[in-house]
Amino acid sequence: MCSLWPPIDKSLYNGVWVYLERDGHKLKDVGLELLGKARELAAKLGGVEVGAVLVAAGRELAQEAIYHGADRVVLIENPELETYTPVEYAKAIATVVQKYKPEIFLIGATKRGRELAAYIANSLTTGITADCTALDVEPQTRDLHQIRPTFGGTQLAIIKTPHRRPQMASVRPGVFPKPPRDVGRVGEIVVERVEVERKTRLLARERRVEIDVDLPPVESSEVVVAGGRGLGSGEGFKLLAELAKLLGGTVGASLMAVRAGWVPHSRQIGQTGKTIRPKVYIAVGVSGAIQHIMGVMESKTIIAINPDPNAPIMKNADYAVVGDYKEIIPALLEELRKYLS
Amino acid sequence: MKFVVLTKAAVPLSSAIRIDPKTGTLVREGVPLTANVWDRDAVEFALEMRDRYGGEVVAISMAPPTGILALESLIGMGVDRAILASDRAFAGADTWATAHVLAKTIEKYVPDFDLVVTGEETIDSTTAHIGAQTASWLGVPYLYYVYNAEVRGRTLIAKRFLEDEGVDEVYELKMPAVISVLRSSQIPREVKLSRKLTAREHLQIVDNSKLGLDQDCVGLRGSPTMVVGMSPAAYPPRKRIVISGAPGEVAKKVAEVLRELGVVCAVSGLQ
Ligand SMILES: Cc1cc2nc3c(=O)[nH]c(=O)nc-3n(C[C@H](O)[C@H](O)[C@H](O)COP(=O)(O)OP(=O)(O)OC[C@H]3O[C@@H](n4cnc5c(N)ncnc54)[C@H](O)[C@@H]3O)c2cc1C
Ligand SMILES: Nc1ncnc2c1ncn2[C@@H]1O[C@H](COP(=O)(O)O)[C@@H](O)[C@H]1O
Repeated sequence: MCSLWPPIDKSLYNGVWVYLERDGHKLKDVGLELLGKARELAAKLGGVEVGAVLVAAGRELAQEAIYHGADRVVLIENPELETYTPVEYAKAIATVVQKYKPEIFLIGATKRGRELAAYIANSLTTGITADCTALDVEPQTRDLHQIRPTFGGTQLAIIKTPHRRPQMASVRPGVFPKPPRDVGRVGEIVVERVEVERKTRLLARERRVEIDVDLPPVESSEVVVAGGRGLGSGEGFKLLAELAKLLGGTVGASLMAVRAGWVPHSRQIGQTGKTIRPKVYIAVGVSGAIQHIMGVMESKTIIAINPDPNAPIMKNADYAVVGDYKEIIPALLEELRKYLS
Repeated sequence: MKFVVLTKAAVPLSSAIRIDPKTGTLVREGVPLTANVWDRDAVEFALEMRDRYGGEVVAISMAPPTGILALESLIGMGVDRAILASDRAFAGADTWATAHVLAKTIEKYVPDFDLVVTGEETIDSTTAHIGAQTASWLGVPYLYYVYNAEVRGRTLIAKRFLEDEGVDEVYELKMPAVISVLRSSQIPREVKLSRKLTAREHLQIVDNSKLGLDQDCVGLRGSPTMVVGMSPAAYPPRKRIVISGAPGEVAKKVAEVLRELGVVCAVSGLQ
C-alpha cells in the first residue's frame, strides 16, 4: 500500500453524504437529485445516515435538504465564506467531511462542482470518479460502484475505491431524478465554524449576455432539433428554431456547429456537451460521430435528416430521412402548419 | 517568471476517431496520436503570459515514450523546454497518481514556478481533475475556466467564464498558483518547423530513478480508484426506417411520423 496514504479504519466511516451547491439563496437541483440517490444507497447499506454539507447558507436551505432526504445537515458558517472561492470552499468542505467520516461523498458536476471535487478528494487522500451515470453499492464490502461511460460511450466502466474512504464521485445535473419534497421529514441541523486562510478573492461577477435563440435549454425539452456542420451556416439554425417551436421543443447542436460559432456551447450535445433523453430527437446535418451519439442514446425516437444515406447517424435512427435539409425542412414546416390550422 | 504548462499527449479532436466495436478500444492505427494536443489552449495561454512578462515556459507531460512527439511540437510552438515524466511504473495511473507524478516533477525540476497552467480537461478522460489535484499536491490556490489573466506583483488577476451559469468572474489569486484554461478560448499559434527540428535539445526525459517516488504510490498500484469491470453499454435498438424521395413527399411522411409520436398535437393547444 502507498506509504503516503494514512492508515484508515474503514469501519469508522458511515453514511452517504452529499455536497449541496447554492445558486445565491437557492439550492441547485443537482444536490437534491443526489440526495435522492443517497437515500437509495443508504438503504442498501443497512439504513445508514444521509448527510448534507452546505456552505454559508441559512437554516431554510438546510430545512429544504431535510425535506428532500437528508437526515443531518452540516452548515459551514464563516462570514469569510459568504462568496464562493474554490480553494477556500474545498478546504472547508474537506475539513467537515474529515470530521463526520461518511463512507460515500457525492458532488454535483456543475462547473463549480468539478472545480471543487478533485481538490476535496486529494485533501482527504482518497480517489474520485468524474461524471458517473450510475451508482450502486456492494452490501458485503460496502464498496461503491462508480459507473461511467468510457471509450466514446460504447462501454461502461465500473470503478471502485476499495482501500480508501470516503469513496467519492461526481454526477452531472439531470442524471438522477429529483426526489419529492416531503415536509413531514425531520432531521438535524448542525453548525460548524471552519477557519480559512484566504488565498483567493472574488473581485467581480457579471452575467454574460450570450447571443442565443429564445428557446428552452436542451436538457429539459421533450423535442430537440439539433444542427451540425451540414447546415452550412448559422442561418440554418433559424429554420431549425422554427421547426422546434412548432413541436414545442428546442434546438441543440453538434460540436462542429458550436465550433463554427452558430450556437453557444450550452446547446452542444454529446460526450463533451449535454446528455439528453427527449421523446423525439431530430438530427439535421449531423454525421453521428460516436461522441455525439452517446449524448442522445437514450432518446425515445431518433429522426435523422441527411443527404448521405451511409452517415453513421442514419444507422442509429428510427427514421433515416434522406435529403437536403434546405428542401425538406421548409416543406415540413408547411405540412405541419397546414395540419395545425 | 516561470510558467509550467501541463499537457497530455492525446488523440486529436476529429471525426476520424473510431472505436473498435469488438474490443471497445480506440482505433489508434492511422491516427496521428501526437500531432495534436487538446491542451493547445493552455500552451498558447502560457506562451502569451511569457511574451508579456518575460521568463520561460516549461511543458511537462506524463506519458509513454511516444509522448516525446507531442512535446516536440509544443517546443515548435515556442515552449522553452519540455520534460517528459516516463516510466513503466507510471502506467495505469488514475488522476490521483498522475497528479502525484506531475507535482513531484514540478517540485524537482521547476521549484521556483510562478504559475502552472493546465487545459480544461483531456479529451480521453474528461475528468478535469488534474488541475485541482496538482494544486492540492503543491499546496497552492487554483482557479478553473480562465480565459485571461494579468500579473500584479505577487498576485494573479484572472478572468474566468462559467458556461453553465453564463457568468463571468474576476478573481485575485496569491501566486504561485494553478489555473486551467477555458477550452477554445485561445487561438493557438503555429508550430515553427525550424524550431521543432531542434526540439531534442530542449527536451528532457525523467524516469522514476530520478524522481525517486515510492513505487506503491505511482501508476496502477498507487491509484486509489480501480477499474473492476467493463460492460458494453446497452441502448434501445433503432427501427432504421428509411424515408427518401421527392422533398415534398418526404416532408409529408415525416409530418405524419411526428403526428403519430404526438409531438405536433401537443403544441396545437398552445397556439
Ligand atoms: C473526445 C471527443 C469528444 C467529442 N465530443 C463531442 C460532443 O460532445 N458532441 C459532438 O457533437 N461532437 C463531439 N466530438 C466531435 C465528433 O467526433 C464529430 O467531429 C462531430 O460530432 C461532427 O460534427 P457534425 O456531425 O456536425 O459534422 P460532420 O461530421 O462534418 O457532419 C456533417 C453532416 O452533415 C451532412 N450534410 C451536409 N449537407 C447537408 C444538407 N444540406 N442537409 C443535411 N445534411 C447535410 C453531411 O452528410 C454530414 O453527415 C468529440 C470528439 C472527440 C474526439
Ligand atoms: N498525463 C498528463 N500529463 C500532463 N498533463 C496532464 C496529464 N493528464 C492531464 N493533464 C493536464 O490536466 C488537464 C485536465 O485533465 P483531466 O483531469 O484528465 O481532464 C489537461 O488538460 C492537462 O493540462
